[in-house]
Amino acid sequence: MPQVKIIAKNFMDMVASLPAIKLDKLYNNVFICEAILRSLPPLAKKYVLQMLYIDVAVPATVLEEWVLADGASKHRVAIDRLIQLRIFSEITDRKRGTSYSLNPTFQNNLQKHIISGGVLPREPMNSDNSIKLPSLQELETYALKQWERFLLQLINSGQGDKLNGISESMMKIFQRGLLSQRDKDGPRLTESGFQFLLMDTNAQLWYIIREYISNAEERKVDPADLISFLLELSFHVTGEAYNSNTLTELQKNTLKDLEDLGLVKLQQGMKGNWFIPTKLATNLSVSLSDSSARKEGFVVMETNFRMYAYSTSKLQCEILRLFARIEYQLPNLIACAITKESLYNAFDNGITSDQIITFLQQNSHPRCADRVPAIPENVTDQIRLWESDLKRIEMTQAHFYDEFPSKDVFEAACDFAREWGGLLWEDSKRMRLVVKSEVHNQMREFLHTQSK
Amino acid sequence: MGNGERGRPNKKMKYGGKDDQKMKDIENVEDYYDDADDQDSRDGEGEERKRDFTKLVLKPDHGNRPLWACGDGRIFLETFSPLYKQAYDFLIAIAEPVCRPESMHEYNLTPHSLYAAVSVGLETETIISVLNKLSKTKLPKEMIDFIHASTANYGKVKLVLKKNRYFIESPFPEVLKRLLSDEDINRARFSSEPCYGGDEFTIGKTSGEIEPGPGELLSEAELAAAAEEKETHSFEIDPSQVEIVKQRCLPNALNYPMLEEYDFRNDNVNPDLDMELKPHAQPRPYQEKSLSKMFGNGRARSGIIVLPCGAGKSLVGVSAAARIKKSCLCLATNAVSVDQWAFQFKLWSTIRDDQICRFTSDSKERFRGNACVVVTTYNMVAFTGKRSAEAEKIIEEMRNREWGLLLMDEVHVVPAHMFRKVISITKSHCKLGLTATLVREDERITDLNFLIGPKLYEANWLDLVKGGFIANVQCAEVWCPMTKEFFAEYLKKENSKKNQALYVMNPNKFRACEFLIRFHEQQRGDKIIVFADNLFALTEYAMKLRKPMIYGATSHIERTKILEAFKISKNVNTVFLSKVGDNSIDIPEANVIIQISSHAGSRRQEAQRLGRILRAKGKLEDRMAGGKEEYNAFFYSLVSTDTQEMYYSTKRQQFLIDQGYSFKVITGLPPPDAGSSLSYHSQEEQLSLLGKVLNAGDDLVGLEHLEEDTDGMALQKARRSIGSMSAMSGAKGMAYMEYNSGRSKSGKQFNKPKDPTKRHNLFKKRFV
Repeated sequence: MPQVKIIAKNFMDMVASLPAIKLDKLYNNVFICEAILRSLPPLAKKYVLQMLYIDVAVPATVLEEWVLADGASKHRVAIDRLIQLRIFSEITDRKRGTSYSLNPTFQNNLQKHIISGGVLPREPMNSDNSIKLPSLQELETYALKQWERFLLQLINSGQGDKLNGISESMMKIFQRGLLSQRDKDGPRLTESGFQFLLMDTNAQLWYIIREYISNAEERKVDPADLISFLLELSFHVTGEAYNSNTLTELQKNTLKDLEDLGLVKLQQGMKGNWFIPTKLATNLSVSLSDSSARKEGFVVMETNFRMYAYSTSKLQCEILRLFARIEYQLPNLIACAITKESLYNAFDNGITSDQIITFLQQNSHPRCADRVPAIPENVTDQIRLWESDLKRIEMTQAHFYDEFPSKDVFEAACDFAREWGGLLWEDSKRMRLVVKSEVHNQMREFLHTQSK
Repeated sequence: MGNGERGRPNKKMKYGGKDDQKMKDIENVEDYYDDADDQDSRDGEGEERKRDFTKLVLKPDHGNRPLWACGDGRIFLETFSPLYKQAYDFLIAIAEPVCRPESMHEYNLTPHSLYAAVSVGLETETIISVLNKLSKTKLPKEMIDFIHASTANYGKVKLVLKKNRYFIESPFPEVLKRLLSDEDINRARFSSEPCYGGDEFTIGKTSGEIEPGPGELLSEAELAAAAEEKETHSFEIDPSQVEIVKQRCLPNALNYPMLEEYDFRNDNVNPDLDMELKPHAQPRPYQEKSLSKMFGNGRARSGIIVLPCGAGKSLVGVSAAARIKKSCLCLATNAVSVDQWAFQFKLWSTIRDDQICRFTSDSKERFRGNACVVVTTYNMVAFTGKRSAEAEKIIEEMRNREWGLLLMDEVHVVPAHMFRKVISITKSHCKLGLTATLVREDERITDLNFLIGPKLYEANWLDLVKGGFIANVQCAEVWCPMTKEFFAEYLKKENSKKNQALYVMNPNKFRACEFLIRFHEQQRGDKIIVFADNLFALTEYAMKLRKPMIYGATSHIERTKILEAFKISKNVNTVFLSKVGDNSIDIPEANVIIQISSHAGSRRQEAQRLGRILRAKGKLEDRMAGGKEEYNAFFYSLVSTDTQEMYYSTKRQQFLIDQGYSFKVITGLPPPDAGSSLSYHSQEEQLSLLGKVLNAGDDLVGLEHLEEDTDGMALQKARRSIGSMSAMSGAKGMAYMEYNSGRSKSGKQFNKPKDPTKRHNLFKKRFV
C-alpha cells in the first residue's frame, strides 16, 4: 500500500512538483503566471517584479544586498521557492559565482499581462430570464452538500446517493491511504483517514484535488492541462454562470467530476449548458492558512461520557460513529456515548486518543468551549487510560522449546539463551522454555551440537 | 386534538415579564402535533433504526424551546435554556430522570412516571400540551398515543378517608358507574347511602392545586389550571370492604388503580397533635416544592420524595407531620437513626418530649396521650417471633391506632415483604416514603410505587450543589496496582474464595489509604471515614493504623461513644466503618470518605456512602460554584487494578455519574518517594501480610451479613453473567426501571429486557 502523507499545503506545491517540461508548458498560460505570482511569498514576489524587465542573469550577491541582514532566512525561502517553481533558473559560474535569471516564458507572459491585462477564456453569461442563478447562500449550501455527499461515499458509509461523474475506480484511488482493506468486513478508516476527516474542508479538498491531479495520467489526461484549468477556474467569479461551450472536451469531462466535489454547479437551459463556480472552486488557489476561519463547535461532552452533537450532518454522524456509539438521532441533535468498546474500536483502526481528544476540543460547543477544560477532565483521562491499557502488553516474537532429553541439556540451553539475552521464560520442572526469535538460529545450532 | 389549549384557562397564567416574553415567543406556534402521523413508520430492524428520529419536524422557533422528545419515550432537555427551570419541574413530574449531568438531561416517559404525574393532579391533555409547547419538534405520534394509553385509567378514582368514612371519589361519574357494575364493589357500597341503588352520586367540590411561588409559569399556570375547583362524584363504601375494593380496582381486574388521599383538615375523629414547625425551621425551596407536591390540593397524598443525602430529608418529614398534625408513626432502619429521628422532631418542631416516644429493642417507651409521634424500626414492627409482654402491648396499641401519617425513612433498603407486613399491621391515612436513591439492585422499585405511592418529587443533585445546599464533592477513583505476589495468588483458582480479601489487602492499596489518611488529617485537618465491607480487611487496616472502628457487632453504647469522640475529640479524626455505616448513621463532621472495599456493584451503596459527606459545611458563599472552596468534600474509592474490583467500581459509580458527578482517576498514589514512611514498604512485610490473608479461614475473609441488607441478597443471587463492561462504563445507566419495549434486540445493553411475566400487573399488558 502506498504510504500517503497528508501534507495540506497548497496548490502551488503541486505545481512546483511538476516536471520541468510540464511546468514550462504551464507557463504558456498567462493566468497561471499571474496565479503563481500571487501565490509567492512577499519577498519572492518582489524579486520577480524587480527582475521582470532585466534580461540578464543577476548575481546572487547582488540579490543578497537587497535585503537587510535579519531578512536572510526569508531571502533563502524566497529563492528556494522561485527555483522550485522554475521561475528562477540558477546559473553557477566558477568565476562570478551563482546568478539567477527569470524563466523566459514566464517573464514574457507576465510582461504581456502587465501591459495588456488578462482576458479570461470566457466571460460570464449575461443574466436574463432564461438563467435563474442561485443566490450565493444557496450556492454555498449546495457546495457543502455535494462535498459532504462525496465524503460519505469516500468513507464508504453506504449512505448518501451515488455520484454522477466520479467513477468507482477513481473513488478507489481517493480512498487509497484513507481506508484500509485488510479485513473481510470491508474497508475501514485508517489513522490518516481519520486525520483527513478531522481537517477543515479546504484542506480536505486540497488533498482530494492533489490525488485527482497526480492520478491524471492514468486517465490519459495531462496533469498540466488539469492544473491550468483548475487555476483558471479560480479566476472565475463565484455565483456567475459561464457557458460550457467555451470548454474543451477534457474540461467538460472534468467539470462533471468537479460537480461531484461541489466545485461547480451545472445547469441546463434553453441557451445550452452552463456552469457556476462555487466558493470551493474560487478558494482553491488561496493559500490554506488564510482560510482557517474556525467553524462553530457543535459537541457537548458530559462527565458521564455522553456526547451530544448539535448537527444535522450525516457526515458528522459518521465521524462520531468512529469512536462513539450513536444512540439517538434527532433532527438537529445526535446523542451518543463514548464507551470502552467504541474507543477500542477506534484504537483498533489506528485512531489515537490524542486525535479524539483534539477533535472534541476543537469542536466543542460554544457553551462548553469557555469552560476550562472544555472537555471534562475525567473523560479525557479515561480516554487516555483506556488507550494506555491497550499498550501494557508488549509483543515479542519467540520460540517455544520442550521435550528436552535431559535436565543437563535443558539447563545448558537455558544458560545459552541467557548468555545471548534471549531467555524470556523457563519452567525447570517440566523443562520448557521460551526464547526470543532473534536467537532462534543460534539456539538451534546449539541444541544440534548438544544432541550429538 | 390539534390544540392543547382547549380547556386551559389562559387567564390564570400570571408570570413575570421576562418569562412572559419568552412564552410569547413560542406561544404562537401551537398546533404542531397530530398532522405528523405518517412519519416515523419505523418498522424496526435493528437498534440503529429505532433510534433514528431525524424525521421529526423541527418547529421554526426550536431554538427557544428546551427539549426534544422521541417516540420511544426518551426526552432530552437542554439545561442552558431560559425555560430550563420550568421544564425541569414539569419533566420531573411526568418522567423518570435517566441522567442529569451539566448541560443535557435525559428522561424517560414510563407508565410509572405518568402514573405519578396523574396522581399529583396532571391531566392527560395538560401533559401533552405542555410537552408539545416545550418540544423543539412536533411531538411524535407514538408519544402522544403512549401518554394517552398510560394515563387513560390512572388517577381517575380516589379513595378518600374522610371523617373515618371511606369514599370512592372521581370527577367522572361514568367511571364510578363502571366500578359499580362490579359485583364486589357494588356490594361494598354503603347501604346507608341516601339514594341507594340509583345512579346518583354525592357531588362535592375539591379545591384546585395550590402551587406556590411566582415565575413558575408552567407548574403554576399549566399544572394547576388543570385542577381547578371542580365537581367530584363519590359514593361511600364499607370500611371493612376497603381491601377488597382496592383489590378489584387493581390493573388485573378493573384497572382503575386508586389514589389514596387524606383529607386531614376535615378529620375530626382522630385527635389532633399539637405540633408546629419552629420559626428557625425554614424549608429550602426544593423542600418546599416537595411538600407542595404532597399537599398540592389541600389533602395529603401518599408517595415517595427523593432528596439526596444531606439535603434535609428529615425536615421534610417533620414538616409533613407538622402539617397533618395527627399521630405519626416514623419508621427508620436501625436504632441509631431512631435516636436521630427523635432528635430531629424535637429540633425542628414544637413537639413536647412527652408526645414523642421511641420503640426499639433497647428503649420501649409507652405511648402517652391520644396523639403522639412514635419512632421505631421496620424490624420492630415486622418482627414475627415472640415478643416480650411489654413489646406486645406496644405493638397492639400500634395496631389499634389510626395513624395520620406513616413516615418511612430509607424506603429503598427495606425488603418488599417487610413493607407489606408493616403496612398491613398499621392503619394509616397517608404514607410518605423518603429516600436518597431510588435504585434497588433487586429492581423492586416497582413494588414501592404500589405499596406507598408514586414518586412525588425528586431533586436534581447538581442543582443543589450549585445552590450550595449540599457539599460539592470531588470524587476520585484511585488505581492501585496489585503487587506481583498478591496478583499471582489472586489468579490461582484455589483462592477464589479469598479473591476479595486479596485485592482489598493489596499492600499498594493499603499504602495509598494510609497516605490519604495522613494527607487529609495533617494537611487539611479533615475528618475521615474509611469504609470497608470486608471485615477481615476492616480489622487489619484499623489495627495497623490504630484507628477506631465500628461494625455490625459493635454494641450500641460503643458506637455512640466512638461517634461522639469522632465528633468532638481532636485526636480522633478517622473512623473505620463497615456496612453498618452505609445508611443513616449521621456523621455531619466527616468530609472525606475513603472506600477500600465495597459490596460488588451496588450503585446504591456508593451513593449512600457519598451521602455521608454531602451535608454542606462552611459558609454558603464559599460553597457556591466559583467560591473559595469549590470542593470541600472528598470521596476516594480505592481499587486494585486488573481485578474484579475494577469492573464493580465502574458499575457502582453509574448512579452518581448519572447525577452529574464525575470520577477522576488517580494513578501513582502513594507518591513513589513515600518509601518506608508508609506501612508495608519492604517485601518481607508484604509477604507476611499475604501469608496472613491466605491463612485466614474462608469465613473470616468473607462479607459481613446484615439483616437489613436487601441489596446483598439481591446481588448474591445475581447472575455473574458476562456483561459488557463498556455498556456500564459508558452511559448506559439504567438506574431506574425503564420502559424499554422494542429495544429487546440490542445485545449490547446490560439490562436485559425483563421477563414480562415478572412485571407488575399494571404494566404487564404493555409489554406483551
